[in-house]
Amino acid sequence: MANINLAPEGGVVNSAPQSDSHEFDATKTRTQGQLVLRRFLRHRLAMVSFGVFVFLILFAFIGPLIWTYDFEDVSSKAYQPMSGTHPLGTTQVGKDMLALLMRGTGYSLQIALIVAALATAIGVIFGALAGYLRGFVDTALMRLVDLLLIIPQIAVAAIVVKGFSGSWYVVALVLAAFAWMQIARITRGETLSLSQREFIEAARACGATTPRIIFKHLVPNMIGSITVNATLAIATAVLTEAALSFLGLGVQPPDTSLGVIVLENYGQFLNRPWLFWGPFIVLVSLSLAVNFIGDGLRDAFDPRQTKVRA
Amino acid sequence: MRRTKALPAIALLASASLVLGACGGGGGGNNADGGDATIADMATARGESADGYTAPETKQSGQIVVTTDKPFTSYNNATEDANQSYNTFALVLVQPGAHILNGNNKFSLNKDVMESIEVTSKSPQVVTWKLKKGVSWSDGEAWDCDDFYMAWFTQSNAAKKADKGKYFKPAGTTGYDLMTGECKDDQTFVGTFAEPYPDYIGLFNNDVLPAHIVEKQTGFADITKLTKDSPPADLQKVADFWNEKWNGFTKELMPGAGPYVLTGFEPNQSVTLERNPKWAGKPGGPEKIVLKAVSDPVAQAQALENGEVAVNSMAQPDANAATKLKSLKPQGITFGAGPGLSFEHLDLQFKNPVLAKEEVRKAFFMCVKRQDIIDKLITEVQSDAKPLGSLIFFPKDEGYKDVYGDKAKGDPAAAKKILGDAGWTQGADGVFAKDGVRASFRISHTDIPRRKQTVELIQGQCKEAGIEVKDDTDPNFLDERVSAGDYDVALFAWSGSPLKSEKKSIYETGGGQNWQNLSVPAADEAFKSGVSQTSISDSLKYFQKADEEIANAYGSLPLFQMPNMWAFKGLDRVYFQSYYGALWNANEWQTK
Amino acid sequence: MIRYIIRRLLISIPILLIGSFACYVLVASAGNPLAEMRFRPGVTEADIKAAEISLGLDKPVFVRYWNWLTDFLSGDWGQSIALGQAKTAVFPAVTDALWTTGRLVIGAELLALTLGVSVGVLAAVRQYSIFDYLATSTAFLMFSMPIFCVAVIVKNYGIQFNNVLESMGLERWLTTAGPRPGGFSGSFGEVIFKYTGTFLLPTVALMLISFAAYSRFERASMLEILHSDFVRTARAKGISQSRVIFRHAFRNALIPVATLFSLNFGGVLSGAIITETVFGWAGMGTLLVNSVRQFDPPMLMGWLAVTATLIVLFNLVADVVYGILDPRIRLG
Repeated sequence: MANINLAPEGGVVNSAPQSDSHEFDATKTRTQGQLVLRRFLRHRLAMVSFGVFVFLILFAFIGPLIWTYDFEDVSSKAYQPMSGTHPLGTTQVGKDMLALLMRGTGYSLQIALIVAALATAIGVIFGALAGYLRGFVDTALMRLVDLLLIIPQIAVAAIVVKGFSGSWYVVALVLAAFAWMQIARITRGETLSLSQREFIEAARACGATTPRIIFKHLVPNMIGSITVNATLAIATAVLTEAALSFLGLGVQPPDTSLGVIVLENYGQFLNRPWLFWGPFIVLVSLSLAVNFIGDGLRDAFDPRQTKVRA
Repeated sequence: MRRTKALPAIALLASASLVLGACGGGGGGNNADGGDATIADMATARGESADGYTAPETKQSGQIVVTTDKPFTSYNNATEDANQSYNTFALVLVQPGAHILNGNNKFSLNKDVMESIEVTSKSPQVVTWKLKKGVSWSDGEAWDCDDFYMAWFTQSNAAKKADKGKYFKPAGTTGYDLMTGECKDDQTFVGTFAEPYPDYIGLFNNDVLPAHIVEKQTGFADITKLTKDSPPADLQKVADFWNEKWNGFTKELMPGAGPYVLTGFEPNQSVTLERNPKWAGKPGGPEKIVLKAVSDPVAQAQALENGEVAVNSMAQPDANAATKLKSLKPQGITFGAGPGLSFEHLDLQFKNPVLAKEEVRKAFFMCVKRQDIIDKLITEVQSDAKPLGSLIFFPKDEGYKDVYGDKAKGDPAAAKKILGDAGWTQGADGVFAKDGVRASFRISHTDIPRRKQTVELIQGQCKEAGIEVKDDTDPNFLDERVSAGDYDVALFAWSGSPLKSEKKSIYETGGGQNWQNLSVPAADEAFKSGVSQTSISDSLKYFQKADEEIANAYGSLPLFQMPNMWAFKGLDRVYFQSYYGALWNANEWQTK
Repeated sequence: MIRYIIRRLLISIPILLIGSFACYVLVASAGNPLAEMRFRPGVTEADIKAAEISLGLDKPVFVRYWNWLTDFLSGDWGQSIALGQAKTAVFPAVTDALWTTGRLVIGAELLALTLGVSVGVLAAVRQYSIFDYLATSTAFLMFSMPIFCVAVIVKNYGIQFNNVLESMGLERWLTTAGPRPGGFSGSFGEVIFKYTGTFLLPTVALMLISFAAYSRFERASMLEILHSDFVRTARAKGISQSRVIFRHAFRNALIPVATLFSLNFGGVLSGAIITETVFGWAGMGTLLVNSVRQFDPPMLMGWLAVTATLIVLFNLVADVVYGILDPRIRLG
């Protein structure tokens, strides 16, 4: 799974091709980065998913600039059916569903990306520190993880959102507070084994500081699993955010999200199906796309994988 | 849109005493298929007649499951800790009272258990409640004056500890605190009022609990001997029982004197009622009623659709559930919606420098398109909903007059004109200003989606009129902030009541719940006269006067009544009574 | 082994203390449970103050937490302080809710585990077969599916299915809004039939999601082990295919799934909460939302105490199961 047998010092960019590069014509040496990119580009499903993902980003952030209705516009009549002017109908207060959906997708994406970025940053730093320094730091980290494992995320979200604030960034923070543990655990594991290797010892002998060792030597060697897990964190965050919002424990108005839109409209499942299926399809394609991208990345980073032949 | 229906002769007779005409509150108002009653007709009980209510002949039927939003929690709904409508929804069939309140909020004397209620003296006001002989609790003990005495004594809070603390912890003391009660004999309760109290009709209609249970459990032999001067130990003993021992469910402690008895309870889930074999009136209705809590309205509707339950009753409107239920008409499901108890309103803070100016208040009233808000938020549930025109009366009440219709027309041009005439000018940002003061303020409210949507709609409407409205959503707004008057405009709901004296403390100068610092001397005067009458009919005109004066001060804008909604299948008539829920006349339900 | 378990439990005590304190402070400072009293007719601010004092709400949060903790440790879980809750005792309320949710979770997880593991093993053994592609893509789809949507879809089509049954002259079978109050009556067969009808829809909804995770995990770990040296050795020795799969590979491939099963408890809990919300069951979800909404610290602490304890236990079970499945891991 992990690409720990990659070239030591230089990390991704400068490393030489691997011995198992029999897949390629050895006339030209490619960097590891090029290899990964090449494998990813040839992963058909991942590329299609990447297309979908880009489309959804455009839909969420460029769409509102083009589309006639503003998501705040309540001037239309309530519960209009699908039509040319309102392709997905209108909601109870007369908002255009398509405009609302763009806005909701935007919030969901924003939240998911922030969660993934925060969770990865915290997870990698904590995990690498714990794995590299061991001892007290490691124990402290494990206790923190234990603490967070014991309190259900759903309860924390409920308390924070109901008692204090239900803005989208608060929800993102709550999600991130629980999402980093997975990444920290993986990073810690890899760091434990990498720290035993000669190049780390060499670096330490040369007097490199802890931050330098972590960021210059350890992280570049774990870039594969970090990227894959960060991608998967996006997918998880999209679904978790939607689930919390569906329970009314996530994003609160005036902010919205795909989960909130489903919550407000799921009762119309049979009577006004477009109000349910619209946000549903966006939600599922978003999470499917991100999961496939993650899969593609995993295959691309993992030289042992033979499924995707170059 | 509001329809006035021709009522059957019997109902008309009954209505004549208090209500001039019933208004069709039904979402459909159409014939319930197969039945002969319209939704509006269902608001009156079959057993009502001009002089009171008597349980009618009713075909008996099998088990019925009824859903509502929240679970039953206590047999004693009069305590501070337990008080909530969802207890009343079940207890209305178990603890009979002096009156039955029908779907139009009209009082009828409960003649199965009562003989008469009379004002026997006007100064001081003395009221005599005469109970029927031979009425008993399901455990065989008599339902009599002891029970009235205890209801009065516990809720009057007459007994005070040395340190001024309370022995009994009633949720409210309205009316009972003005009274001194005594039992002349087992069937006669006499209440003497310290000051005139026109709303005595509202007393002893619920929360009349079995005194003999308290006597048995506490060892205090005769509850009518308990007075405010009784030894503290005795008071404490009785209070300890009354305050907490009726919470949850213990069958032996909870007999019934009405048509039904509580027989089963699953905490947080359901409460079961069965016909009371000792009921004094004509028996009838379903053999067993299960009142089940289903918090999600759509889930309630689907359970009805799926045939798991026969009746839905929702005190909170929900558009999704309403759509669903209305669409199920072909499957024999009747949907009803009617204006409920509480009404949303905007309170303007008079201490706010901008809102202290009358022209700003006037213009704000004028720009709010109330019908538009209703069309967006309420119409899906209650198709004939209208803006509420009074802070004191509901449209079904006698004495209702729309005093806000011409003040809040939803006309931005007129609003602009009001400000323009007063010397305000529109700035570059489109917002009116005068002497450096901008027509801009916040609307504060809790985080209920409907309130948020209301503010969103108002923002758009008043923007057209050059008034800037900012949104202030605060989950804790109803805690200290509202009572401290810490707002510009507050959006929340008051619960209405058929009894108008309760409104005094909200709108009189310096009143306990007058958090907006409203002060209208003419209204104060009218309120004072209103509450010092000895009957409701005498006091009406004063309350009408107060209502008008408050409206003229542009202090508080009523928006709409929150609808109740309900639906049923396989029964002949179900109506959601806004105080007592769907079960108020369940003893009259017949299967079709 | 026993020493290990005791040590693990001892370690969780300070963590539980810190966690409970943090939660108590958060929820107690979030809002006033008595705020709505202001809207009752004739209630004065003095009445509210008196009620606050009698509930101890006037005391500093630290004192309140300490009182709660000492009561809790002596077995008194306290009473709800929310308005309208009539001082409901916390312990039975939480255990009732847990029972409601638990019945759902146990059935769904057992089904998901059995199905997931079998499908995962089959897919791995027949890698790249039609079955594998079908199973893998279904799992992938379910894995990316929001559970509440699955629940909504399952429920709506369940009702449609009932309509079909009815139009065929049969009885409506599936129910949505939870067990019938008062239980079921009839012959044993009928009771089983009705019981199944009550639980089928929510169980299926909850199962589908867990199933996806289990089958994906099982397939992956089974594949890895089937390609490992010791399995190759076993095959080379001439051991039969089925014996290789079940005696050698399967046992080892269960380890990651066992981890997932026990560590995923939080996820399963929230899945159950969502499912029961869609179906309108009054379980742990309703209890959590209500106690937070009404700012009811005693009830919420009871809720947390139960869930936290379960999580600790499940984590412990995971480690013990490791030890049984993989003798190389020595606990202690």
